[in-house]
Amino acid sequence: MRKVDLLRLSIHNLLLHKIRSFLTSLGIIFGVGSVIAMLAISEGAKKQALKQIEAMGINNIIVYTKPPSLEGKNATDTSKQSMVEELGLTKQNLTHIQKMDNVKEVATMRNSRKIAQKGVTQLDVKLVSVTDNLSNILGIKTTSGRWLTPVDNANRSMVCVIGKNIRRKMYNLGEQKIIGSHLRIKDAILKVVGIVEDGGSNTVPEIGGINDMIFFPQKTSESLFKNVAIESAGGRSFKMTQIDYDVFFVRVKNTESIDHTARRIKAYLKKNHSKTKDWDLIVPLELFKQKEQTQQIFTIVMASIAGISLIVGGVGIMNIMLANIYERRKEIGTRRALGAKQSDILNQFLVETVFLTSIGGIIGVLLGVGISQAVTHYAKWPTVYSIWSIVFSLVISSAVGIIFGTYPAIKASKQSPIEVLRSE
Amino acid sequence: MNNPVVKLEKLYKSYYLAGNKEVPVLKDINIEIFQGEFVGIMGASGSGKSTMLNILGLLDLPTEGSYQLNGIHTESFSDNQLAEKRNEAIGFIFQNFNLFPHLTVEENIEVPMVYAEKSRKERRRFACDLADRVGLGHRLGHKPNELSGGERQRIAIARSLSNSPAFLLADEPTGNLDEKTSKEIMEMFHELHAAGTTIVMVTHNPEYENDFDRLIRLRDGRVVSKEEFLRGSHA
Repeated sequence: MRKVDLLRLSIHNLLLHKIRSFLTSLGIIFGVGSVIAMLAISEGAKKQALKQIEAMGINNIIVYTKPPSLEGKNATDTSKQSMVEELGLTKQNLTHIQKMDNVKEVATMRNSRKIAQKGVTQLDVKLVSVTDNLSNILGIKTTSGRWLTPVDNANRSMVCVIGKNIRRKMYNLGEQKIIGSHLRIKDAILKVVGIVEDGGSNTVPEIGGINDMIFFPQKTSESLFKNVAIESAGGRSFKMTQIDYDVFFVRVKNTESIDHTARRIKAYLKKNHSKTKDWDLIVPLELFKQKEQTQQIFTIVMASIAGISLIVGGVGIMNIMLANIYERRKEIGTRRALGAKQSDILNQFLVETVFLTSIGGIIGVLLGVGISQAVTHYAKWPTVYSIWSIVFSLVISSAVGIIFGTYPAIKASKQSPIEVLRSE
Repeated sequence: MNNPVVKLEKLYKSYYLAGNKEVPVLKDINIEIFQGEFVGIMGASGSGKSTMLNILGLLDLPTEGSYQLNGIHTESFSDNQLAEKRNEAIGFIFQNFNLFPHLTVEENIEVPMVYAEKSRKERRRFACDLADRVGLGHRLGHKPNELSGGERQRIAIARSLSNSPAFLLADEPTGNLDEKTSKEIMEMFHELHAAGTTIVMVTHNPEYENDFDRLIRLRDGRVVSKEEFLRGSHA
C-alpha cells in the first residue's frame, strides 16, 4: 500500500466519526494543554526571578554592611563603647579585596539619607556616593547626560547623577533641561550631569533600587560629609556610627572560580571582623544556581504530572481503538481477503492513532497557549512559552500515539480473515 | 487442454481441537480447474465447503497435499505472499457483498488496486471501465446504501475483477438476493464466463446445477460422484 493511500485512508476513517475522534483525543488535548500552560507559567516566573538575580551581575560578588541586630551583642555592650562606633566594611577591607587574585575591580557604594531641595520641592532621598566603575559593573544605563567619571572623583567635583524616579518626583521638566540644573543637598549644591534608569529590577541589598538614588563621586562625599551617621539609640542617648562603605561590588576575572573567591573574601572578613558579624555576602551566580535547582525540581514534578495525564490519555485512546477494531473486524477481514497484508492493516490503525494523538497535541498546544495568554492578561503573570516546549509536546503526543496505538494495531493485523468470508 | 489454473492434489485439511484431537475436514481432494471454466462446488453444510473455499481463496493452508495456482505451489507461502496472491490472482465475491459502506462505488472498486499499489489515475480509469462493464457506470459517486442488493453485488463483481485475477471465487453470490435479481447476477456470471473468465462458485442451491460447466460435489470432506452425492442427500 502506498503511503499516500495510507494517509488518505486514515484521515478518511477519522473524519467518519468526527465527534468520537475528538472525544478520544480529549485526554491528549488536556494533557498537552496543561503541560504547555504550566511550562509557560513556570518559565515566566523563572525568567522574572532570574532577571532579578542577573541584574545583580553574574560575575559579581556583592559584599555589604549589615548592622547586627540591636537585641544582640550591641545592646549589652553600650557601656563599653567609644563615642564613635566603627561598623561595616572599611577602607582596609577594600584595599585587601582589591588585591585578591581573581578580583578584576571593585565598585563601592556608601548610602546616606539626605534632604534634597529644588526650589520649594523637598525630598528625602538616598544619596549614594559611588566609584565611577559602578555603572559598568551593574550595567546602569544613562538616559540623558553622562555618568560620573574618574575626573569627577579626582577633582571632588560637585556633580551628581539622578535616578529616574527622583527626576519624576522633583522635576516636571524635559530631560535636557534637567541636565545642568542644580540640586541642593544640605549645604552642598550639586550639578545634575545625568539621569539613569534601570530597566530590570536592580536592587542593592540593604539599600534598594537604583531608580530612587542620587549618585555622586566617592571623594566628593568624603570631603563634604564625614561618613558618620547619627541615630537615636533610644531614650536621650544618640549613637554615632562610622561606616566607610555600605556595599562592595566585586567583579571577578574568571566566573568559574567565583565560588572560591567568595569563600576567600568570607574567610578574610570573618577574621577581620571577628568581634561582630556586621557584613554579609551574596553571590548572584550561586542564587542563580539555587533558583535553577528549585526550578528543576518543580519541572520534574510537573513533568511527572504531565506524564501521568498523557498516560491516562493514551490508555483512553488504546481502549477506544480496541473497541474500534472489534467494531470494524468485518472491514479488516474484507481488506485482508482483498489483498491487504498484515503490515497494511497494522499501518492503517497505527497511522490513525498517531494522527488522532498528533491532532490532539496540536489542539492541546493551542489550548495551552490560550490559557497562558489568558493568565498573562487577567492575572498579570508573565508567561513564556518556548518553541522547544511546543515541539516537545507535539513529539510526545505522537509518541503516545505510537506507544498506545501499537497494541491495538497489532491485534487488528492478526485478525483472521476467514470468519468474515462466511459471516452471516 | 492447457495447464490448469487451480490444481489440488491429495489435499487434506484437519482442525485440531483441545487435547490434540484431530478433526479431518477435507480428505484426499484432487481437483483441476482449467482456464475459462465455470465450476460449481456444492455440498450440504458440514461437507467441508467453507474450508474448501478458504483454501481455494488462500485464506487458509492445507494440512497436507498441494495447491498449485497457475502452476505455482502455494503450500509454504508466507502470510505476505498469500496476501499478494489473493490480491493479484483471486477475485472474491461474497454472499453479503462486503462493500465498504463509507466508500463510494468507485472507491470500493478501487480497494484491491490500492493494495496492488496502482496509481490513483490508473485506479480511476479502471474503476470506471469496470463499473461500465457491470452496467453501473452512472453510479460511481454513490454509496453502497444508495444501491439495491443486485446493484451492490454487481459492484462487488466489478471489484473482484479489478486486478484481472486468474479466477473469480464466488461464495453463494445470490444467497442474499431475491429470485429475479439472482437470475440477473447469474446471467452476469454467464456473460463473464462467455468472455473467458474462470469462475469457481460455491453454492448449496441445486437449482444452479445446470449453470456450471462442471460440478464438484462434496460430502463429508470428500469429492463424490453425482450418484453418491444424491444417495447421501437422501440418507
